[in-house]
Amino acid sequence: MTNHFNDIRHAKLVFFIGSNAAEAHPVAMQHILYAKEVNNAPIIVVDPRFTKLAAKATDYVRIRPGTDTAFLMGLINQLIQNEWYDKEFVRTRVAGFEELKEVAAHYTPEVVEDITGVPAKEVVRIAKLMATHRPGTVVWCMGLTQHHIGSSNTRAACILQLMLGNMGVSGGGTNIFRGHDNVQGATDMCVLSHSLPGYYGLSEKAWRHWCEVWGVDYEWMKSRFHSKEYMEKPGFTLARWYEGVIQEDKIYQYTPIKAVVFWGCSSTSQSQYHKLKKALDKLELVVIIDPFPTTTAAMCEKDNVYLLPSTSQYETEGSVTSSCRQAQWRYKVVDPIYDSKTDYEILQEFVKRFGFADKFFKNIKKIPEDVTREIARGTLTIGLVGWLPERIKKHTDNWHTFDIDTLQAKGGPCDGEYYGLPWPCWTEEHPGTPILYDISKPVAKGGLPFRARFGTEYTYPSGRKENLLAAEGVANPGSEIMGGYPEFKGWKTDVRVIKEAVKRGMAPFGNARARCYCWNFPDPVPVHREPLHSPRPDLIKKYPTYPDKPNHYRVYTRFKSEQKPELVKEFPLVLITGRVVEHMGGGDETRSNKYLAELMPEVYAEINPRVANNYGLREGDMIWVESPEGGRIRVKVKITDRVDDRTIFIPYSFGGMFMGRSMAANYPDGLVPYAIGEPANIVVNYGYDIKTQIQATKEGLCRIRKA
Amino acid sequence: MRGSLLGKGLLVFFLLSLGVHYVWAQDILRGFGPESFTDYFRQFSEIIVGDWSNSGRQFLALVPKLKLYFLVVLVGVPGLFFLHYLIIGPKRFSHQGEKILYYGPLARLIHWVAALFFTLLVVTGLTIIFAKTFGGGSLVRISRKIHLLSAFGFGAVVVPMFLMWLRDMLPAPYDLKWFLMFGGYLSRKKQPIPAGKFNAGQKMWFWLASVGGGVMLYTGFYLYLFEAPLKDLRLFVLIHNFLGLAIVALFFTHLYMSLFAVKGAIQSMLSGYKSAEEVSVLHSKYYEKLKQGRS
Amino acid sequence: MARMKFICDTERCVACHGCVVACKEGHHIPVGINRRRVIIINEGKPGERSISISCMHCSDPPCMAVCPAGAIYQRDDGIVLVNKDICIGCGYCLMACPFGAPQFPKNSSFGARGVMDKCTFCAGGPAPTFSEKEKRLYGQNRIAEGKVPLCAGMCATKALLAGDADVISKIYAERVARRGNGLKEKIF
Repeated sequence: MTNHFNDIRHAKLVFFIGSNAAEAHPVAMQHILYAKEVNNAPIIVVDPRFTKLAAKATDYVRIRPGTDTAFLMGLINQLIQNEWYDKEFVRTRVAGFEELKEVAAHYTPEVVEDITGVPAKEVVRIAKLMATHRPGTVVWCMGLTQHHIGSSNTRAACILQLMLGNMGVSGGGTNIFRGHDNVQGATDMCVLSHSLPGYYGLSEKAWRHWCEVWGVDYEWMKSRFHSKEYMEKPGFTLARWYEGVIQEDKIYQYTPIKAVVFWGCSSTSQSQYHKLKKALDKLELVVIIDPFPTTTAAMCEKDNVYLLPSTSQYETEGSVTSSCRQAQWRYKVVDPIYDSKTDYEILQEFVKRFGFADKFFKNIKKIPEDVTREIARGTLTIGLVGWLPERIKKHTDNWHTFDIDTLQAKGGPCDGEYYGLPWPCWTEEHPGTPILYDISKPVAKGGLPFRARFGTEYTYPSGRKENLLAAEGVANPGSEIMGGYPEFKGWKTDVRVIKEAVKRGMAPFGNARARCYCWNFPDPVPVHREPLHSPRPDLIKKYPTYPDKPNHYRVYTRFKSEQKPELVKEFPLVLITGRVVEHMGGGDETRSNKYLAELMPEVYAEINPRVANNYGLREGDMIWVESPEGGRIRVKVKITDRVDDRTIFIPYSFGGMFMGRSMAANYPDGLVPYAIGEPANIVVNYGYDIKTQIQATKEGLCRIRKA
Repeated sequence: MRGSLLGKGLLVFFLLSLGVHYVWAQDILRGFGPESFTDYFRQFSEIIVGDWSNSGRQFLALVPKLKLYFLVVLVGVPGLFFLHYLIIGPKRFSHQGEKILYYGPLARLIHWVAALFFTLLVVTGLTIIFAKTFGGGSLVRISRKIHLLSAFGFGAVVVPMFLMWLRDMLPAPYDLKWFLMFGGYLSRKKQPIPAGKFNAGQKMWFWLASVGGGVMLYTGFYLYLFEAPLKDLRLFVLIHNFLGLAIVALFFTHLYMSLFAVKGAIQSMLSGYKSAEEVSVLHSKYYEKLKQGRS
Repeated sequence: MARMKFICDTERCVACHGCVVACKEGHHIPVGINRRRVIIINEGKPGERSISISCMHCSDPPCMAVCPAGAIYQRDDGIVLVNKDICIGCGYCLMACPFGAPQFPKNSSFGARGVMDKCTFCAGGPAPTFSEKEKRLYGQNRIAEGKVPLCAGMCATKALLAGDADVISKIYAERVARRGNGLKEKIF
């Protein structure tokens, strides 16, 4: 999130695309409803499904799954065509506008109507609504990202906000509601296969930086790896790791994967689940570290599973990072119960047995404070330098002294600071940055320009040269240079550089323009590409996907070869998945709560009355949903107008059943969740983002038949 | 539900007498919000309040008065009989002389088993009606359980009883006459009263106890299980209580007749024999038939 | 004396069922008993609205009027409570209640209903305040602790308001007034 939840109270318009905040983020809804009530802000919800959030919207736009970029580019085109865009903002802080204009021109309201199904008039109306209600905020979630063009989708949404001049202002911004508690923290620590903590990447420089922070020898670290090549090569992703076991797609690694550890992760949230299960049954070792014996454990039918009971969040402590980049200290409420151990303890035991405890705990004497301190020392890129445990605790203890609108403390021990020190919090005295890219405030007081990450100048393929730094006169108040400036040399590894920059009123990472044209992406300007499994064969010809991508996070990923126009004849319905408010993620925890299980006891498929009647289905009938990849699940029919007559929706939070078979017997005695059901991800189609390899769960085809 | 339709038919007269149509729920809901939301609230109230606005209001108007009605019956009926006893007095018949076998052993057994459960039902039923007087709690909860068990017992014997006496209990033309002369109970004279084996009063009691009892069992069963739509349950409560009111009234009548109004009448249900004199007066038509049969 | 009331703002309720689960968790209510529930109208269509409903703590409670055992009583602050020691489980209160508030657990012998259970406004019951018995039979007594009922306290969007009728109706009225219905500019 560039802004924060409370800041939505200042929005004059809230635009949701691919988000069902009412079910996934009910607590955030108070701010959205406040904007709606007090600011008369239109709430625009763009979604293939009439969600509970759409029920609270003023304007609901039903869109065909997987066509978000086309819709967003249609809006951008309208803003440009009608000169509704923020000309001053574009002139001073945006790069690649001409290139954007050229691409956007294709997305006329009529073209957008053809692709997305949104009436042309509606596209114009929404664009005008957004132009006349500024600042407005754009919110998205997995509905926008989990597509094979997910990275284009998100960039199109960012460009939309740039056109509206809504970046770096209160009430504006691109606000991506994170889906789990502390998932932002996990992201910042890069629990990912292609980066070291703090988004440093895997280059030798990055390794050397962290080795220095950890106080270990780089050569020793290198010796732990198969080779330097593998040390710096992105690993398998969560979405595709099982291919490293079953190798149905070619893998690019010297060995198949032999063991997997699920540490607080639900496997049922991964697509192509029937293939993942195949991998589970092939692995030599499956370790599950979780407060609950998860569905993953029940799915393993080979005697290769170890369950390590970990504590819940109430039995341990440490810092957690919210969606809005704020840290908060979570104190322990009770001591661990039964045999459970805290995650720290489990890791400690592992490290001891692996034999490098001395190196691992070199800087860590007191857990978890010293862990937080080490993170602060090493994570310069996003400015966690100021996140000292005692500061975080001080904020948590004095939360009542902070203002609900601005998050700034009024008096008290944290006077002037922003709650949770939203990163970047450049120094130990920095108040935190509540709104990213806000040039109305000095950097030392929480202001920030756009980052200068891609040099100072670029020559586009057309031959046009553009200065990538911000225009003259555009900088934070008090900046030594009133205009664009490049990043400070060495700021990512040397905290002294950061302090020097902040002292001079400047952002360590420079002051540049936001790019509309990203030359390091497959599509420099976002363009629409039909989903791999599209219900519109005619559009596949017009907007084909990418060529196949070998060695994509160590696995061959099909694009072009998977896009078959004739598939829709056999699989006529579009399948989308999503959340229900009662269950969380894979649902192992919530389905083990009798009250939540009572409210949402079984998995179902939402089906439009028209489809139900055509298939002769009644409410409560059981159906088989089948995917082109051979996955099939048996679910109950729920007839509703939430979905249109080409789409079905299945919540993905269920587990404990597998293609018609109950796995209940595989749970430890007495620990079967109250609610079990088929994981929807068994039938989610093949499809992965070209850039990030996120699974495409919100597009793809299926067929249904009565069970 | 066929049963509830039957119930509705029976209760129409109660409901017609009510005619209370005030909009109580709407009054509550009006306090919620401004006019612009009234549409939503109308829809909400349809779901939340539902059929309450149809059957709930009558229910609410009648149920609090039940206790009063029962009090009236409990005091009024025995009171009337007490006056009758004082003013007109009981009928006495010679228990010497010729005896007529009136009730066979099986009939007596069935009667007394039914009587046992019936009495339990009446007593525990009244305990529930006057639960507040008894302080509620476990005493009344136990009464409810006895009420349930007795209902099963009564249900088991009411069927043979019904079949056994059905023929004799069918209405006859002279029953009308019996009603017109109040069964002769308002006079001290021993004149033949037009009645078959059972007089019209007994017939009334029989039909109320058997068919009425059946309705009581049916409604009571659902009130215990609660497995019916609320609007049906409300109707069942009213049927159960008002029918119960009538049954209690006739129950007292039955007791008075057998114990006090006709001296020694209870003997016939114990021994099975009635004196010929008694039969000739109180069941004259039956007596005539017997004599014809004999001669 | 203040009169305790609930108000549910349907424009704010997002049907998250947080109130229902908070109530059940807070009072350890058996599955199947719903002291509070959420009702959705026009599900999946424009005009979808939801409301959280429980005992409304009526000023003139119909349940109290029909209770043959005199188990239901009203406190001075308007909170309607049931005395589970007196209740005989006849179910008349449920038939009298327009809101379906009274609940009956099926836990006695012969499959009969147990005694009535309903929303206590988190005010416990007739047993001594904070006693073990009160907690077991009626749940927490948050009112005695000076707290609002759990459901309203838990409500994420502050749709469900609980407290002195004068105070919460003022909050609600202010909110509605601020909303400025119909003032939104129409573009086309």
